[in-house]
This record gives sequence, structure tokens and C-alpha cells, in this order.
Amino acid sequence: MTHTFEFKQKSHLQPELLEAAWKTLNAGKLTGRWLNTDPETRGLAELVITQKGEEFSVGAVGAGSGGPIDWPITKAKALANLEEEAGQRAVALAVTFDFGYMKAEGHIRVNKGVLVIVMFHTFSDDSGRSNYVNREFFYRGC
Amino acid sequence: MQFAQIRDRVETDAGTTGPIDVGALSGMWINSNPDTNAIARIVISESERDLSLQVYAIGPERLIDWGSTRADVFTFTPSSRVAAGFTCVFDFGFAETRLEGMLAKGLLVLAQFHAFKDKSGRADYFVREYFALDHGRY
Repeated sequence: MTHTFEFKQKSHLQPELLEAAWKTLNAGKLTGRWLNTDPETRGLAELVITQKGEEFSVGAVGAGSGGPIDWPITKAKALANLEEEAGQRAVALAVTFDFGYMKAEGHIRVNKGVLVIVMFHTFSDDSGRSNYVNREFFYRGC
Repeated sequence: MQFAQIRDRVETDAGTTGPIDVGALSGMWINSNPDTNAIARIVISESERDLSLQVYAIGPERLIDWGSTRADVFTFTPSSRVAAGFTCVFDFGFAETRLEGMLAKGLLVLAQFHAFKDKSGRADYFVREYFALDHGRY
């Protein structure tokens, strides 16, 4: 039987997308505790990523003025990653933290053992703060 | 002021709440990878304080025009008024694509999130690529 798939770019037709294993490929490269490479960060100090089957959760710790600030543990969506070279491939995660007054949306991926998080912060209060994007790097903690 | 990371605790006043300068994002951005199977180029333009994106992607035979959509603009810090990134969504019916763009060292780093809404069994996937601004000087 022949299937005809709709597409808007060639990569929509990539055969690997039909392989079930891609949905959690090398997920172990992401799971665990991660520490910011910048000890003076004013953003996220720590991330904890867990996996249960095809479900992923992300916990984060923000750098606070009087001590660390725990972010709510949030479910993340796993995405097959077509970006890296074959041996480096691992799923990427899309995650949204919603604080009510601020939403932080972004993605997490691992590149050569370094975890990279890119977050887009949107403020919905009247504080006058600009919505902003930030990228931070993490190494695997104990 | 509420904050979940110390970076978000900033002073804001009338001098920092004007319109955001989106000049650094405007223009035609070309994929650095000539063999890409994804987006070939992006045209970003400003219209009435909105930022709009038009995307041309690689098809089997020719470029596919995705049309244009409005984008949300982001700076690099909560106190900045200079654009440094954007997010937007294209809904194709059978799939939805979210784009997250961020400037880095003169390049536009573009993350694509493709979520299929049809019953094709295709896995949702992620691609990240680099784009250079076609400045027309050389």
C-alpha cells in the first residue's frame, strides 16, 4: 500500500519520522541533574529531567536573591531531533513553565554532552518588563 | 515585582517602555546550509509595530511559500528595548510548525518544532539551523 503524506517542506517526508524509536531516541543523554556552567548565573541554576516511558518532566531551580527558587515540575514534549549527526542524535524537549504573571517557553537539547536550554519569557503583568529570550548551558551533575 | 529568577528583577521606568527596535531582525535571512531539507529563507518585515515573517521552504521540486504570519518579539533582557528574537506559529492543518528565532553573533539561530495533526504516524520533530542576513554589500 502506498501512502501520500501532506508536506510543507522536504523534511516532513523524512522516512525516519515513521520509526517509533525516534520518539525517545537516546533519551538517557538528557535525563538526570544538570548544573549551569556559569556559577554566577542570574537565571536557571539547575535542571532535573526525568523520563517515564514516553513522558518527560522538567524541574528547574532559579537563582534568587535570598536563595534558590524552585520552579514547578512541568511535563515536556519529546521531539525527534533531525539536527545532529547520526551518532549524536537524541530527542529534544519542548517545555513551558507558567507562573501566571510570566510564561517561559522553550526547548532543551544536548550537544556533545552539554545541555542547552533556550527560553522565551513572556510577561503578562504590568511591570513594564520586555519579553526576552535567553540561552544557558549546563553540565551533568552528580 | 514578582520573579522566578533574579535576572527578572529589574527597574523599569518611562524611558524603558517605548517601542522595541526590531531593526536587527528585519531583512531576508538565508539558510547557511545549501543542502537543507527545511527552510531555505525567511523574509522578516516590520509593519505597524508588528513583526511579520514570510517563509520559503525546500520542496521536492521548488521552494514552497508558507505565506506570512505575525511574530512575537523578544529582547535579550527584561530591561532592553532592542529585538533579539521571535516566536511564531504556522498552522498548515495537517501539521503545526512553531518557529523560535534568536540572534547570535550576527546569525539567526532558528529552531523549528513540527507537530503533526494528521493520522500519518509521523513523529513530531525538531530542527535547528543557522541563517545569515542577506546584506547585499559584497
